This record gives sequence, C-alpha cells and structure tokens, in this order.
Amino acid sequence: MRKVDLCLSSEGSEVILATSSDEKHPPENLIDGNPETFWTTTGMFPQEFIICFHKHVRIERLTVQSYFVRTLKIEKSTSKEPVDFEQWIEKDLVHTEGQLQNEEMVVRDGSATYLRFIIISAFDHFASVHSISAEGIVISNLS
Amino acid sequence: MVKLAAKCILAGDPTVGKTALAQIFRSDGTHFQKSYTLTTGVDLVVKTVPVPDTGDSVELFIFDSAGKELFSEMLDKLWESPNVLCLVYDVTSEQSFTNCGKWLEKARAQAPGGSLPGVLVGNKTDLASRRAVDSAEARAWALGQGLECFETSVKEMENCEAPFHCLAKQFYHLYREKVDVFHTLV
Repeated sequence: MRKVDLCLSSEGSEVILATSSDEKHPPENLIDGNPETFWTTTGMFPQEFIICFHKHVRIERLTVQSYFVRTLKIEKSTSKEPVDFEQWIEKDLVHTEGQLQNEEMVVRDGSATYLRFIIISAFDHFASVHSISAEGIVISNLS
Repeated sequence: MVKLAAKCILAGDPTVGKTALAQIFRSDGTHFQKSYTLTTGVDLVVKTVPVPDTGDSVELFIFDSAGKELFSEMLDKLWESPNVLCLVYDVTSEQSFTNCGKWLEKARAQAPGGSLPGVLVGNKTDLASRRAVDSAEARAWALGQGLECFETSVKEMENCEAPFHCLAKQFYHLYREKVDVFHTLV
C-alpha cells in the first residue's frame, strides 16, 4: 500500500479545532506541507489543536516541526467523532536556538481517526508549530 | 486580527491598593472599594484591552494574589509562567517602594524565556501631604529595571487604566517580535 503524509490537507485532512488563532497564522498552516508557514499560540498555556483525517489510518512515523515548544502531549482517537481521546505520546522537547525543533517519532499502535496535540508548556511566552506530518497508510474510509 | 491572552500578575505589599486598582479597572472606573479587605488566595479579573491603531486586542487575566504572601509557596504556584507584571507600591510608604525589588525578583524568576514586560505603579497620590516616595526616584529605579512607570489615585479614579493599557501594548509588541523570529526559522 502507498505510504503518504496522512496529515496533509491535500490528502483530505483538516484541523477542526485550535485554541489560538491569528488570522495571519491560521491552523491550516499546520498541514499545508510548507514549513515556512506556521500556526502561533497567542498567549498562556496549555494550547491545543485537533487534526481530523476523515479516514481510519495507521501512523508509523510522526514528525513535528516547531519552535519554543517545551512539553508536548499527543492523544488519539479511533472514533468517528472527535471523542474518546486516549493518551498516546508525551515528549519534552529541547530548545534549539535559531532553528526549528524537528521531532521525529517512530510510533507504535498508530491507528487513528483524530490526533489531538496539546502544548503543555513552552520555552517562551509564545510558541509556533510549522508542520505536522504523519507517515503511514490509509486503512479504510469512514462509513 | 488577533486576540492575545496574557496572564498578568499583580504584585506589591499588602494595603498598597492592588485589589482596588484591579477592581476599578474591571468596572471601568465606577467602583471604588471603600473598606479594606485582605485578599486571601487569589482573585481573577478578566478584561479585554484593544491595541490602538490595530484591529487587535489583548485579554488580560489579572491574578490578584495576597500581598502578605511574599515568601509563601502558594504564590509560586499562582505565579507560574506570568506574561506581564503590574508592580504596585504606596507613595506614602517608603517600605512598600523598597520591597518592589523583592517582588520583581520573585516575579522574574517565574517568567518564561527570562523576559517579563512590566509596569511600576505608585498608588495613593491623593494623599499628597503624606507622600514619602519621590516621583523622580521611582522613575529612575523603574527605568533601570526596564519597567514603565505610572502614578495613580485609585480613590480619585485617576490614571487607573493607563498601566493596564501599557501592559497590553508591551505584550502585543512581544508577540510581534516573536512572530518575526518564527519567520526567520526556515
């Protein structure tokens, strides 16, 4: 089966919730496949966003490109609706002065319909997320 | 358009007028609390301040915590990750001005990224005959600490909005600076 970046909006994915939004840096920037565009938090933590695949997928590798993110929690759901999220990954990231944090994770138990990213804390007053990508396969369409 | 959210901590000795200042700001200058009640724990005042000449605004979450708790562990928790600081003293109390250094140090220790925009507010200017802290002296100290400086009379409802508008503006500029940094990363 073809491996694709499951998060891309061009593959049909969508950000259905974000707790912060600057019109100039909207959450769509997370999944447009372009790390030059980004989503910003706009003050106080935690902050979160939810990506909907509109499909059942199995994720094998997850990459997060960000700046100033300190503690990141990722939950996933396998429901049709964005409910019943279960804790999946929790990571303390390292600050990389002047360059993007590039966090690559080889993951287990990667079946999902939704991913929920929670930025628990940051290294500064604001943080940015430039790209979320998930390598894996499509299992089935939501019926 | 963007609406930022800032955690604002209100610091200073007991009875300098922190709660009265926050409440008069909350009520748009309609409510001066005549009798003193000691704040225990924390009060939260939430108010949105527009940033002039932009369509943007800052929602201030003002954490008004007890002034007697300078050394308590409770305060460490309440003051976690502050975004801006409103440091208040009483112009009739030399001691409350001297203690500002300690409050500032404690607040800065909790700030993310080591920077904490702030204002210094000398309150109770209505008690002119009892003034003990010279305006110029306070201004010089504030300048040295990178704080913007204000004098207010909460009782006379004078200048009570200005410190908060200044905090919103400083936080907004901080956001703009960080966004510029995010642009340079790729």
